[in-house]
Amino acid sequence: MKPILKLTEIRKSFGAVRALKGVSFELLAGEVHALLGENGAGKSTLIKVITGAHLPDGGKLEVAGAEVSHLSPSKARELGIACIYQQPALFPDLSVAENIALRLKKTGIFSRVRWQQQRANAVELLQRIGAEISPDSEVRSLSMPEQQLVEIACALGSGAKIVIMDEPTASLTQKEQHLLFKVVRDLRASGVGVVYISHRLEEIFALADRVTVLRDGESVGTNAVDTLTESQMIKLMVGREVASIYPPCEGAPGKVVLSLKNLGCAASGVKGVTLDVRAGEIVGMAGLVGAGRTELARILFGITPADTGEIVLDGAKITISNPGEAIARGIAYVPEDRRRHGVILEMPIAQNMTMAIHPKLFPGSILRFKAESLLAANFIRDLGIKAYGPEAPGGSLSGGNQQKVSVARWLATEPKLLILDEPTQGVDVGAKSEIHKIIRGLAKDGLAVLMISSDLPEVLGMSDRIAVMRGGEMVGVIDKDQADAHSVMAAALGTNGKEVAI
Amino acid sequence: MSFKSLLARHEAVLVFVILFEVILFQVLGRNFLTERNFSNVFRHSVEIGLLAVAMTPVILTGGIDLSVGSMMGLCAVLFGMMVNALGMDPWVAAALAVASGALGGGINATLITRLNLPPLIVTLGTFSLFRGLAEALTKGAESFSGFPASFLALGNSTVAGLPAQIWVFFAVAAGIWFLVHRTTFGRSFRAIGYAPEGARYAGIPVARNTGLAYVIAGAVAGLAAVILVARLGEARANAGIGYELLAITAVVLGGVSIFGGSGTVFGTFLGWIALAILNNGLTRISDFKIMDQTVASVARELSGLLTGLLLLTALAIGASIKTLAVRRARQQPIPLSKPDPATP
Repeated sequence: MKPILKLTEIRKSFGAVRALKGVSFELLAGEVHALLGENGAGKSTLIKVITGAHLPDGGKLEVAGAEVSHLSPSKARELGIACIYQQPALFPDLSVAENIALRLKKTGIFSRVRWQQQRANAVELLQRIGAEISPDSEVRSLSMPEQQLVEIACALGSGAKIVIMDEPTASLTQKEQHLLFKVVRDLRASGVGVVYISHRLEEIFALADRVTVLRDGESVGTNAVDTLTESQMIKLMVGREVASIYPPCEGAPGKVVLSLKNLGCAASGVKGVTLDVRAGEIVGMAGLVGAGRTELARILFGITPADTGEIVLDGAKITISNPGEAIARGIAYVPEDRRRHGVILEMPIAQNMTMAIHPKLFPGSILRFKAESLLAANFIRDLGIKAYGPEAPGGSLSGGNQQKVSVARWLATEPKLLILDEPTQGVDVGAKSEIHKIIRGLAKDGLAVLMISSDLPEVLGMSDRIAVMRGGEMVGVIDKDQADAHSVMAAALGTNGKEVAI
Repeated sequence: MSFKSLLARHEAVLVFVILFEVILFQVLGRNFLTERNFSNVFRHSVEIGLLAVAMTPVILTGGIDLSVGSMMGLCAVLFGMMVNALGMDPWVAAALAVASGALGGGINATLITRLNLPPLIVTLGTFSLFRGLAEALTKGAESFSGFPASFLALGNSTVAGLPAQIWVFFAVAAGIWFLVHRTTFGRSFRAIGYAPEGARYAGIPVARNTGLAYVIAGAVAGLAAVILVARLGEARANAGIGYELLAITAVVLGGVSIFGGSGTVFGTFLGWIALAILNNGLTRISDFKIMDQTVASVARELSGLLTGLLLLTALAIGASIKTLAVRRARQQPIPLSKPDPATP
């Protein structure tokens, strides 16, 4: 059978980060093809290449046997490629029928709106997928899964031959899931090729015909689903050498600095987190994107304060209701989104570094420029920051150096607990190992470090203990000597650890 | 700082604009460069200058305050009532007028920082509210006068060779300059203007410091109202109509980014002077003739047109100098760091 979609050696880089390093992938008509991989393995980038949102740097893309060179989102739609994202992209103030009509029809500015036909069309499409949704209801009033069904109706109505589903079941209940599976199977039966992305392995077994595993921007193999076991799939996802490039941990951890008991926050979906972090220890936090790790960090930093449980810092029970309070108590947080939260790009790096210590460095609120540039010069030297001086704007630095500035800002607060959120995301290899050395050095000096990372080798290589979160809950804390890629990934995915063990 | 980079600064553009204005009006106008006129220029525009320097911190945080003109009207009426109806000492009343302004600013601050409403909308609301209150208090027509001469001296006497109120302006401008350029508050105004979320993640008390900017703007509007009443000898509900836009013009003319973050109090000061000289200069051209046709009456009416032209020209010059500098910097890239050998 001829593939309806064929990608050959697709490459794509963002600056220094190589997201796709030659990925090949093919989709047959009437097939459900699962795409599997860790966070950051390149799945999203690959989808964006297929939908025309990203232009690949190299490689060949063929749709129905014809090569397509400059794919744009509108061209992709013409070619029958439809994508259903996790977050449906509908107009909330328009009715279901209007949304469907907007997606399907190409209308000129002055063309008439045929309300009757529009409505009938919507009714028919919704019936075909078995969705009990009124075409007249406002999209705003629909639940997330209902909106997803509307998206599927759009894809169906547009006569899509290639349908991409990006974690469609993430927010669905069991019943809705079954309905969705039925729709997917119907699509397959009618000759549509479905690219199905999910972290839930059991879904892949239930639904997919073949699976392609991505790892570090490369495809590590395409297999028929029934020839693989769950364990083999996980091995394909994570199976790589954890090189010994990570700085070794030395010395025994000291006393408990931070102790969380049943901590939770209803607003951010974190519940019942219990965890100890000791002085001189790096606790890695693993889990899938959206598992609640960043949300936990935000609770500890007072951005979304906790509403249940308790936080004990240095033996004293405390509450943290805003970032200023967290800083005063010795908690520092290097945020995930460096460009929005970590560094103010327009401001000089010296000003960035002193921003969290205004009360301490500038008594009486009066700026002391000499003290400031001295402090900055010291950090620039100690952390090996490459910049032309303390007055260089943050935005003029490379990603890795910006990250060091962000770390410097928090080291300046002389914290007891340092929380790092994806400290090496989007950082080149050289700067990455420098940042690792800095983090290990800080732990050696007695700092308690909580390091959130979606980079599995990093978590395994850096941590003394690994805490795994899933669905807002802490599902396990694994000691360094017992942790391997399998056990961590299995805990993060929620599969039974025993089955996965090899 | 090299001469070239000094030239590229917005303030340098403004100095040239001001020099150009002075030469132009000296050639075209009558009695322009005289000591008396010099005093006049500033005496008549101190209120706008005060509003402009106090508007600078607000705009640095990425906000705006449209209510300051109306606040002047309200504070002027309150001042008049306190002195005339309640028989208060004018200086005590002046202090209370300033406090009322701060209170009004506090209303803006609360709505903006606690309810997260956009500053443009909030101050558009209080713009109407404050003026409406002033008109209600005076039943639309009443005005207050007959203030003691000792008070009126604030608006009409000369101290050390300069109009008395100029010294008040200098004191306020110096205070705000210090706040913006020498304290952590000013630093945080910029951080909030550039990246409000980033400032929050750095532990800056964003709500408190943003609020402070609006309270100061309100208090200074109260002060401007007192000075206006002292100069005119009369307190009316229509005091300061349209002043908020003139103040914003001076701030933006001074190179403060309307998006927040960048700008200086000195820039605002120069922007205010350029604006003040333009408006005064036009009144000096009383027998301006083109082809023997006297266009004297026209000159003053050109004020709005020329203010607009001045603002847009100065901004365009500033922007094109910046673009040129960026383009030149791109052509000659300065290596910031050595290439990392570990990078593939």
